[in-house]
Amino acid sequence: MKRYSTDVLVIGGGSTGTGVAWDAALRGLRVILIEKRDLTHGTTGRYHGLLHSGGRYAVKDPQSAIECIEENRILRRTHTHCIEDTGGFFVVTPEDEGDYPDRFKAACARVGIPCEEIPLKEAFRREPLLNPRISRVFEVPDASADSFLATHATAQAARQAGAQILVYHEVVDLLTEGGDGDRRVVGARVRDVVRGEEVCIDAAITVNAGGAWAGKIAAMAGIPVNVIPGKGVMVAVNHRLVNTVINRCKMPSDGDILVPVHTVAIIGTTDERVADPEMLTIEPWEVELMLQEGDKLVPGLSRSRILRAWAGVRPLYQEGYTGESRNATRALALLDHRQRDGVFGFLTITGGKWTTFRLMAEKTVDKVCEQLGTNRPCLTATTPVPGAEQGYYWLGHRLHEVEEARLQGDLICECELVTRTMIEQAAANNPTVTLDDLRRDVRLGMGPCQGGFCTFRAVGVLHELRLRTQEEAQTTGDANGEPPWNVAYMQSPRQAFQAKPAALGLNHSPLDNPNLLLRDFLQERWRGLRPVLWGRQLKQERLDELIYLTIMNVDHLPNDGAASPLTAFWQFDTAPNAKEADQ
Amino acid sequence: MAPLSWHSVDLTLDECIKCNICTSHCPVSAVTDLFPGPKYVGPQAQRFRENGQPRTPDHSVDYCSGCRVCNEVCPTGVKIAELNARARAQIVAEKGLPLRNRLLGRNELLGKLGSFAPALANFGLHNPLSRLLAEKVMGIARHAPLPTWSTSGTFRDWLRRTRDQRLKSSKKVVYFHGCATMYYEPFIGKAAVVVLEHNGYEVIVPEQNCCGLPLLSNGEFNVARSYHRSNVGRLAGYARAGLPIVGTSTSCTLTLKEEAPELLDYHDEPATTLKLGTYDIFEWLRERYEAGELRTDFQPLPLKLPYHAPCQQRAHRIGKPALELMELIPELELAESHARCCGIAGTYGYKIEKYQIAMDVGAELFEFVKAQGRDVRYTACDSETCRWQLEHGTALPSRHPIEILAAAYGLYDLERRDVIAGKRDRSEKR
Amino acid sequence: MMLDLLVIGAGLAGLTAALRAAEAGLRVKVISKGMGALYWTPGTIDVLGYIGAEERAVQRPWERLDELPARHPYRIVGAGRAQAALEWFRACAAELGLEYNGREDGSNVFTPSPVGAWRPSYLLPAGQRAGDAEDDRPMIIVGFQGMRDFYPHLIASNLKAQGQAVRFAMLPWSVLSERRDRNTVQLAEALEDPKTQQRLIDALRLVVKPGERIGLPAILGREAHSQVLTALAQELNTAVFEIATLPPGVPGIRLATALRRGLEQCGVRVEIGMEAIDFHAEDGTIEFVETATSARPLKHRAKWFLLATGGVLGGGFDSNHEGRFWETVFDLPLTTPPDRQQWFRPLFLDPQGHPALRGGVAVNEAFQPIDAAGNVVFNNLWAAGGLLAHADPIAERSLEGVAIASAVAAVEAIKAQAFARVDHRAFPSETP
Repeated sequence: MKRYSTDVLVIGGGSTGTGVAWDAALRGLRVILIEKRDLTHGTTGRYHGLLHSGGRYAVKDPQSAIECIEENRILRRTHTHCIEDTGGFFVVTPEDEGDYPDRFKAACARVGIPCEEIPLKEAFRREPLLNPRISRVFEVPDASADSFLATHATAQAARQAGAQILVYHEVVDLLTEGGDGDRRVVGARVRDVVRGEEVCIDAAITVNAGGAWAGKIAAMAGIPVNVIPGKGVMVAVNHRLVNTVINRCKMPSDGDILVPVHTVAIIGTTDERVADPEMLTIEPWEVELMLQEGDKLVPGLSRSRILRAWAGVRPLYQEGYTGESRNATRALALLDHRQRDGVFGFLTITGGKWTTFRLMAEKTVDKVCEQLGTNRPCLTATTPVPGAEQGYYWLGHRLHEVEEARLQGDLICECELVTRTMIEQAAANNPTVTLDDLRRDVRLGMGPCQGGFCTFRAVGVLHELRLRTQEEAQTTGDANGEPPWNVAYMQSPRQAFQAKPAALGLNHSPLDNPNLLLRDFLQERWRGLRPVLWGRQLKQERLDELIYLTIMNVDHLPNDGAASPLTAFWQFDTAPNAKEADQ
Repeated sequence: MAPLSWHSVDLTLDECIKCNICTSHCPVSAVTDLFPGPKYVGPQAQRFRENGQPRTPDHSVDYCSGCRVCNEVCPTGVKIAELNARARAQIVAEKGLPLRNRLLGRNELLGKLGSFAPALANFGLHNPLSRLLAEKVMGIARHAPLPTWSTSGTFRDWLRRTRDQRLKSSKKVVYFHGCATMYYEPFIGKAAVVVLEHNGYEVIVPEQNCCGLPLLSNGEFNVARSYHRSNVGRLAGYARAGLPIVGTSTSCTLTLKEEAPELLDYHDEPATTLKLGTYDIFEWLRERYEAGELRTDFQPLPLKLPYHAPCQQRAHRIGKPALELMELIPELELAESHARCCGIAGTYGYKIEKYQIAMDVGAELFEFVKAQGRDVRYTACDSETCRWQLEHGTALPSRHPIEILAAAYGLYDLERRDVIAGKRDRSEKR
Repeated sequence: MMLDLLVIGAGLAGLTAALRAAEAGLRVKVISKGMGALYWTPGTIDVLGYIGAEERAVQRPWERLDELPARHPYRIVGAGRAQAALEWFRACAAELGLEYNGREDGSNVFTPSPVGAWRPSYLLPAGQRAGDAEDDRPMIIVGFQGMRDFYPHLIASNLKAQGQAVRFAMLPWSVLSERRDRNTVQLAEALEDPKTQQRLIDALRLVVKPGERIGLPAILGREAHSQVLTALAQELNTAVFEIATLPPGVPGIRLATALRRGLEQCGVRVEIGMEAIDFHAEDGTIEFVETATSARPLKHRAKWFLLATGGVLGGGFDSNHEGRFWETVFDLPLTTPPDRQQWFRPLFLDPQGHPALRGGVAVNEAFQPIDAAGNVVFNNLWAAGGLLAHADPIAERSLEGVAIASAVAAVEAIKAQAFARVDHRAFPSETP
């Protein structure tokens, strides 16, 4: 069995885990990160898309608010290209009268969040679809963020600084030594999901950044960590009804933020305590609530085209807390198990929010250094990750590139302007086991047709890539001095086009079951459509059905029995105790 | 940029199911790679556009001709042509407008200027050297079919001259002439007047200005808005009083009905009143026919007549009333063109970078006309720019269906394009 | 001059109904919001491909109609009449220049889909006939580099896994076009140019082995399809067959174009761009339907009306988040489950399909829409096609069969009413 040795083993490939790997690597530590599926598979890939200004917490949780505004400023410098400088409004609807708005303004001033009340005329000029009965508007430096790109860019930065990132590597067990009073975690036994092999990793310190799974991981060392999984449901509308983050100016609650992210706007979210962080259902009342609350910000939102709904699980942690997840703290929790449980070499970092991932990583690696007996300063706050030099993301960026470089003929996912080379490069360079992994990299299937046209095309492109690479396996070396592809530019059509052509390495994960890729992704898309399927999106789905059933007959392809890591999702959907449509 | 509202055409992008029916019909993307197709530049690109972006991401939408075939065939109701027009206006707002497009947008001004000395203006414009210069300096394609100014006076001149012959009646109708009829083709207006009078209507021609369509097509929304406001002010009163406003220029009437209100988000009560009172002339004549009020004393017109319904006429969504009424004329052998677009698309085909595209788009129509045989003398079409393009592409004279109708009534000479003197029938209908 | 029949919807059901009615001497007009689903479908005529959750495809559709729900349109029409309707359709298509053929014994023919699954069809256009699974010749599937809607290697890989002798080849894009961005319709038009055809023939000669039949994407010409097919087959001395692509689907477009041409020849106007938005009825009789225009709605009067608006796919039905599901022209009662939670099953590819999509307009024996109590809603309204209740033409792979059979049956019922009145027009006798 393969054996690796390292200083720090990070478990979890979300924003926090990759942040830790980045931070540790920049400080010169040897790092290996393992993630059981694809980067951002967990909460990071399912969140609202908000880079908080902290305004939301100014009144209720000033400490969190301060952390947010400081990190907001830092991330704008380090992860610039992952952020869209939308700005944010806090709006007072007729339901939000009372003294909260003034308290809010004062609280922002106290914690140092720039907050300016703007004239209504100005607000409506910028956002004409806002509820005309809004009485006051405050502007804050909220922004929207792409957590897929940010996590990948962070991982890339970590790699460039010497870290090793292993995705589709799942922890089977933590390795421990010693008995009572002297127990120590010395690493982990890990399974390479794709190849089915086991790998052993020896590490001086193991950091549990497993997010909603952190409890399960800690339990492998016999340590109780009670992570409270707080499920949040989000609903995306087909196009951006607003271009500014819109928050309700009131005590934080459900459905009070509307965030424009890339080409959609997302209304969220709820907060329900759930048992399992993985198998999540979306209840009708949650969708109803989102639409209802959305109508209060943008009247008529519920009648616009609803694209999709999904759920993420917040890893909330509050020592000794047993109440409703809505009221659990959002503060980060760094658990030093040496102090807490008498187990050396193991740390858990949980809680927090995306906006503060870098800070969470900094505190974690500070503690790591302390335990390793070394004093190395954190460099992440002043080190931009690869790609940041592109400047802020702007909505028209992909269209602009496709237009300038005349790449229209190359489009595979036309809705989200994803070209063939973008797909090939991402598939070849980022381990891609399912189309969902590819989706996170390049936004395949995230537009109005929800994979209707591009699922088939992507499968064809990947099938062809595999064949082409098998043929060209012998010919290596640079062709025309084209630059190699860089994950920092994975969202850029032009960069993908200009880079050296993609080639699947021989060590790459097998993509030789196109029927499974197809079937799994169609089902994955369906999961998010079914709770919100009516009106125009239903018409779209019926056309998609015509494509996959009438034209393609995909439900009658060979190898029905094959399964992939994504298959687990839809097997859950059709399990006997899952909600059936009829009886 | 026009303010977004829930009525805005921009929101119809949500209707799109990406089915590609529009792209498969688009006559422009069929002939050039410069235009990726209506789905791409319309509802798809719209999700990537936003007020206040660092710069507009668009280029290729400039090659949309605005023919509106996409709207016609879309099964879900995306207002693609309007989306594209708005996007073009945004480019203009950011990058400004070339002088050429400014000129082409000001049809009325050009018409008026030339009308002071039409023969001189014609000579000045329509000689090979001027056209070459215009192409090199301004980008106006030298071969594109620019009209000639009327040397027998404007349409208003004729109205003034023949004031005493005009029918007075309790039944009245307002005529919207448009710039082309006024300055280049007053005979179209004459034909319209005699047809209306033959049916017992007094024709009122109030003060009016350019509908603004060339400005809208070229992205000058602010100026277009002031033009529309002016027309609304001048004409809404007639509509309110129950007088129909009929027009022979099918693009002008479409602009008053829909283009201007939709693109400019101009929906106040007077604009809406005007919209609801505006008719394409054949639309209105067909209504009269269905009510049993239209005179059908047509003389035989033994002609083989290919008819092309311009895309602007189809955009009215009223069917093809000109065809339906011409079918009543004895011995007239009509052949309906199913060609998508003649190519000129308003001011599009005049631009040097688009001229060849326009000719390639129109090839389908020219071939159809050719296939009708050598014994065809005229083609028929409701839009003036299409007629000029048809003449350019087929070398056959083209006539407005109102001229055909007037000729069938015995009131109009199709060859000379003039009313027949002394031939106004004052007798009661039927 | 009053219209006899106004057909609302220009999909296969609407166009077929108009043709049948015009043949009988009725004055017909067709109005439609836009183009119909024929622009997306593979162009085959599918009667019945799958029943319920049964894995294996239906082999003999006419023998299994009794296994469909009791009020399925096929069961209302009856196997005999449905078969006759399909036969009549085949004859019409032939007259319009499109050959459709099936098996003598009426069993389904299987041809490759764009992912290499075997698709069951009842009638195939000439251009797809040689893709028959029962033909024992080996295949070569030929595609074009960079053509994003067709992947010959994928098709070959899956066909091979199912026992078909098959190879694939990729030709350079430049064989078809020097332009980079073209869709299937534009490519089909390009192939009508003799020079492009010659390039294709020359390129194919280099890769095709003797005895192989050639599978190509469905871009072999538009109006000149038979000429292109013949040219390829003759020059290459082998059979050539088309495989469908993502929409726009050229074979379906050929059919739509031919049907509209046939209608024009019969003097039937087909007006596209006319969306029915309202109607007026007196005492249960519809007087007119209104369509949206650029200003005032336009009235369309007729004696009889046929609704063929296609259900969800055609825009004939709409729905909202409150769980309302409604028919968009006449607000006819629908059989769709009233609770939105009952509309869809958890599995996208559920073999039984989704309840919301099997709901629709219920009709009586004469294809007149009825309410829950079985009463006819309007005296002079009939319905046909994808909007009918108790069928899911996509899940069943019965799209064209349901459209044609129900359209013909509806028109026969209209004719029965029409010629029961005093009418001196001659018409061909019909035995239902």
